[in-house]
Amino acid sequence: MSDTRITAYADAAFSIARAEGTLAEVEDELFRLARVLESSDELRATLTDPHLPASRRQQIIEDLLQDRATTTTVAIVSMIVGAGRAADLPKIADDLVQRSATESGTAVAEVRSAVALTEEQIARLTEALSARTERSITVKNIVDPTVMGGIVTQIGDSVLDGSVRSRLNQLRDAF
Amino acid sequence: MYDFFTTINAAANNFWLAGDTDKVIWKAIAFFVMAYIIIKFGRKPFMDLLSNRMDRIRTELDDVAQQRLAAEAERDRIKAALADSDSEAARLIAEARSAADQLAVDTSARAENDIAQLRERAAADLVTTQGQAQADLGAELSRLSLGAAERVVESTLDDAAQQRLIDDYISQVGSQN
Repeated sequence: MSDTRITAYADAAFSIARAEGTLAEVEDELFRLARVLESSDELRATLTDPHLPASRRQQIIEDLLQDRATTTTVAIVSMIVGAGRAADLPKIADDLVQRSATESGTAVAEVRSAVALTEEQIARLTEALSARTERSITVKNIVDPTVMGGIVTQIGDSVLDGSVRSRLNQLRDAF
Repeated sequence: MYDFFTTINAAANNFWLAGDTDKVIWKAIAFFVMAYIIIKFGRKPFMDLLSNRMDRIRTELDDVAQQRLAAEAERDRIKAALADSDSEAARLIAEARSAADQLAVDTSARAENDIAQLRERAAADLVTTQGQAQADLGAELSRLSLGAAERVVESTLDDAAQQRLIDDYISQVGSQN
């Protein structure tokens, strides 16, 4: 899908979420759903299967998000899936997160870890990253088992890699 | 004509003249007249005829002589050419033998050179292959060692270790401000 269309969908989601007063929740839920879609080939294939009727695909995603996301998020995702744009959901979500961060004057830090960070850890990490970058930071935690241990943080083009995986890779390169 | 022979016959019978002397005279006169006419008008064409015939025969003899000379010249040329061809054939055979000998020498030298190059290349390939095999072996050992290390690390990364790694990371990020 073209950047213009992704931006348009992200704008629409942003406007709806802000109007509903659930921007932070929608942004977070969409971001998590995008990461799930990226890691699950089966879910992505199902939601983008052109042989399935749009109503059936919408029903699947609504059942999946039921009781796990706000109704605004479910409605936005259902609209995107119904329009046949499920494959672009990660980009739309990322665009929405960036737009929201720009709107609030913050930068988004994608934090990948093997286990989910606690609220206290997220708060400390947000504070540390904000002090380091001298910008207001919003942390988005992504659970990624390939990290093995530790954390990989990406803010824009900058990466702070403190993962066990990267240390093993460095060991491999040293051989 | 009958009368003329009659006159001759009369002479043979010891009679100089026939009975009719006038006739004899007239016939003699006619004879001389005819002879004169024949000589007067016939001698030149006859002589021309003979002359032309002699010229033609002479020309033909000259032509034959020329042809003979030409044939002899051709015979000499062919003889010379045969002699030349013999010497040319001998020269060509000598050249061919020389070229064959040179070719044999060159081929032998080239073959020896090729063999030497093949040996050098094989030796270089052997060294490269040994190096590659050692590198592959090292890489494989590295991969196996790292795989084993990964499994050890995974088994030791319990929740407490995960939390410690995360806290260490956060502390490290905070300390670098």
